[in-house]
Amino acid sequence: MTEEGDGLLVRRVLAGERQVYARLVERYRDRLGRYAVRMLGNRADAEEALQDAFVRGYRSLARCTSAERFGPWLFGILVNRCRTYAARQARRQALVVTNEVAVASASVAHGEEESAWREAIFWALERLSADQREAFLLKHVEDLSYEEMEKLTGTRAPALRMRVLRAREELRRLLGEMVRD
Amino acid sequence: MTEDDEAFVKVVDVLKEPVRIAPDLTIRVMAEIEQFPVPGAEPTPTPLRFAWARRRLTLRLSPLGALATAAGLAAVVLAGSRIAAPGETSGLQGAGEAAESMRPTQFVLVAPQAASVTVVGDFNDWNPSATPLASANGGGGGVWWVTVPLPPGRYRYAFVVDGTTWLADPEASAVEHEFGRPSSVVTIGGA
Amino acid sequence: MMRIRWESIVFGISMLLAIPPAGVRAQEPRLGGRLPEAARTQVEEILNAARADGLPTDLLVTRALEGAAKGAPSQVIVAAVVRLREELRTARAALGETASPAELSAGASALRAGATADALARLRRLRPTQPLTVPAAVLADLVATGVPVDTAISAVLVLAANAGDADYVAFRRNVQRDVALGASPSAALGVRLRAVEDLASPGQSTGTARGPRRQKP
Repeated sequence: MTEEGDGLLVRRVLAGERQVYARLVERYRDRLGRYAVRMLGNRADAEEALQDAFVRGYRSLARCTSAERFGPWLFGILVNRCRTYAARQARRQALVVTNEVAVASASVAHGEEESAWREAIFWALERLSADQREAFLLKHVEDLSYEEMEKLTGTRAPALRMRVLRAREELRRLLGEMVRD
Repeated sequence: MTEDDEAFVKVVDVLKEPVRIAPDLTIRVMAEIEQFPVPGAEPTPTPLRFAWARRRLTLRLSPLGALATAAGLAAVVLAGSRIAAPGETSGLQGAGEAAESMRPTQFVLVAPQAASVTVVGDFNDWNPSATPLASANGGGGGVWWVTVPLPPGRYRYAFVVDGTTWLADPEASAVEHEFGRPSSVVTIGGA
Repeated sequence: MMRIRWESIVFGISMLLAIPPAGVRAQEPRLGGRLPEAARTQVEEILNAARADGLPTDLLVTRALEGAAKGAPSQVIVAAVVRLREELRTARAALGETASPAELSAGASALRAGATADALARLRRLRPTQPLTVPAAVLADLVATGVPVDTAISAVLVLAANAGDADYVAFRRNVQRDVALGASPSAALGVRLRAVEDLASPGQSTGTARGPRRQKP
């Protein structure tokens, strides 16, 4: 049902009903937002990447080859945006030496009511490299197949499997220290 | 092993939890796409370096601005902020460089009852008729917006609604009071 | 008699054609029709002096126009322009003769927020070749968010050595976001600043644990 709805809306936007795009944004805002927040680690960057992706989606809507597949197509744009933004984050952080304690204490200031465990998960996720985090999220949170991931990232499946494996090992190591206490 | 598997399941459960993105994102997207033609009517896509110039960074969000249906007025200011690409160095900016470092800065106001909205500020000599906002139809009624290219610096501004009512962002953390009326402040990043 | 009348006519025509007799200075066109007459004359005087001093007059004109647009009385407008001129002069002394108008404007805003000239001078020494527009503006913004001046100055100076403009903007945004979520401005800045300090000087942090705080069984 949702896919049919998307197709109709996309065709209406292409026919000139600009304001109909808002319904597509509403439909995918939270779902795509989840990936952006997990990937980029904070809401401000995520919302920026999200807005960027939606605007690009609108501008290149004519190139969405199958209107019914708008959701996955737009997700591909978002994954791409997040990779660019994550690279920028890395460049910013490259200015100073990474110190895990400092970063952890900084994250406490967010003022959100989260248990220490949840905090640890988000913290550990941030410790992964962007490649590993992306692969892990696509595989285990977005539940994509390696074939789908290949299409999205342009990376071959063996390399993606390796990244997912490394990500799991790293998470296990970081969080294992938590659990073993 | 079991411990690890349990931990893994827990990790994935947490990461799969839904995330709620503020509804104003829709407003901002719809306001931003107003400047583009209907998709399919555009020529070849803009090269990355120019598309780059259209980045915008959310600076401030008034809680009133979240919903177009909310009574009252609120201001959402989106300012472009440039992050240097690798290889770029920043030097003293002379007048000739200023033009190249202009950032498209988007001013958005949710004002369902307004008949006209303009923005006045340091960048347009505080002229109430120099920079009118356009009314966007998408995402909800009464969304006004305009994009102004600004060189790096700090700018006072305010909205003028229906020619008479002055409005600064009520929650702006950067507000300056002078001449008896408050003005919001937007800071544009440089190289 | 005819000659006198002719000279009067010539003089009158020259006035109409706005050929300034010797001694009348150029008028700032942007102020035309916007300021009350009393304010305009005084502001023009201030502009002339500032111009002779090498200060950017555009900023002064903009401030006068802000006052006019807000309907402020003449003496208030004049006082505001004078005040800004002094701030620009102080900013220039601290930031250097080659400071751009944008830097001076941001520097003046920082001074208005309570920063000292010394703080601006230190900022310049830490960042001798890069524009100070954004750091000074972020300093003013932090104070406008409620951060105590000294704390804001410390933060801006700590960042100066390693941070680019984007980092300043991100830092300011983080602090504002924390404040919006309920943290006190001082606390928010303190945490963010500590993180930056620890990152800049690894090995000096007192914590020994790796990772976030442990979960008690």
